[in-house]
Amino acid sequence: MREGFHDVEWLARTRAEGDVQAWLSLIPYARRIGVTAEADPDGEGLLFRLDPREENVGNVLLPALHGGVVAAFMETAATLDLMLAAREPRLPRIVDLSIDYLRTARVMPTLARCTLLREGRRLGNVQVTAWQEREALPVATARLHFVLGAPSAHQHDGGA
Amino acid sequence: MPPDHPPGAADWRRALARFVAVIPHTRALELEVLEAGPEGVRLRLPWHDDLLGDAARGLVHGGVLTMLLDTACGAAVLPALPAPEVCPTLDLRIDHYRPGVAGQAIIAEARVVRVTTSVVFTEGTLRQQAGPLARGIGNFVRLGPRNTPPGFAEALFADATLDEAPFEERNDHA
Repeated sequence: MREGFHDVEWLARTRAEGDVQAWLSLIPYARRIGVTAEADPDGEGLLFRLDPREENVGNVLLPALHGGVVAAFMETAATLDLMLAAREPRLPRIVDLSIDYLRTARVMPTLARCTLLREGRRLGNVQVTAWQEREALPVATARLHFVLGAPSAHQHDGGA
Repeated sequence: MPPDHPPGAADWRRALARFVAVIPHTRALELEVLEAGPEGVRLRLPWHDDLLGDAARGLVHGGVLTMLLDTACGAAVLPALPAPEVCPTLDLRIDHYRPGVAGQAIIAEARVVRVTTSVVFTEGTLRQQAGPLARGIGNFVRLGPRNTPPGFAEALFADATLDEAPFEERNDHA
């Protein structure tokens, strides 16, 4: 079987190595919009970054980033953060998302940080804050629920 | 100029095709407008390999679905207003029924549920061949005529022959 999120050994190994790049390499849409991650210099987890690409623009008059692209960035951040922060290798599948747009996201780098508010046996709840110039002035906040699967149990794709 | 008659289905389809073609992200993804009007909109996102969120298993990125619902709900707002206004997204709530799969277009349907003086309430659904993928609820803020750039409606309804020209060019003579 090819390497991927469904492969429990691959997931456990990349997780132990903190190899978030290996995860991002398997997420083409995150690469398209320019998501990167690095160890958070101010904390224990990850700091995520969205590149201000021309193709991420959603409003040419302001101009501003597409709100849906910002949401996709935050969902990617929440997923990867959960995979790294969980007690054991788990494969998150999104159940639902709620996002509040607080300020116009300008065409400049956007950063995000996540908090795992709950890791249950089956469900996880992640909160994400995204900001640009100052963390105290977020452009959006989001919260997401994920079903936490054991990777080997996900050979078949049903609903969440 | 806006049509001298109330815009019909063909006018709105053209106007919203222009709307999504002016948005760089949806232009790059070649998002199509199939139907549009005050009752709602129907859009089609053709397949692109970089819509994937899990390349090994061939599953669509959940964020693509959020982006598409945001766009569809936002597009549904325009024909539901007395006159086109700029309406940024206030918030979105997305429920994921099942992951989208590689190789198939995604169809988005969205409609306005309620218009108030300050907010437009919308809802939308996404589907592929196998059935529904997700639903969304989006609320949009009405910025009002004062905060809508001059020429916004004219740019939406400009002559069909100018279909491919960007908004900024048309605002020059609006």
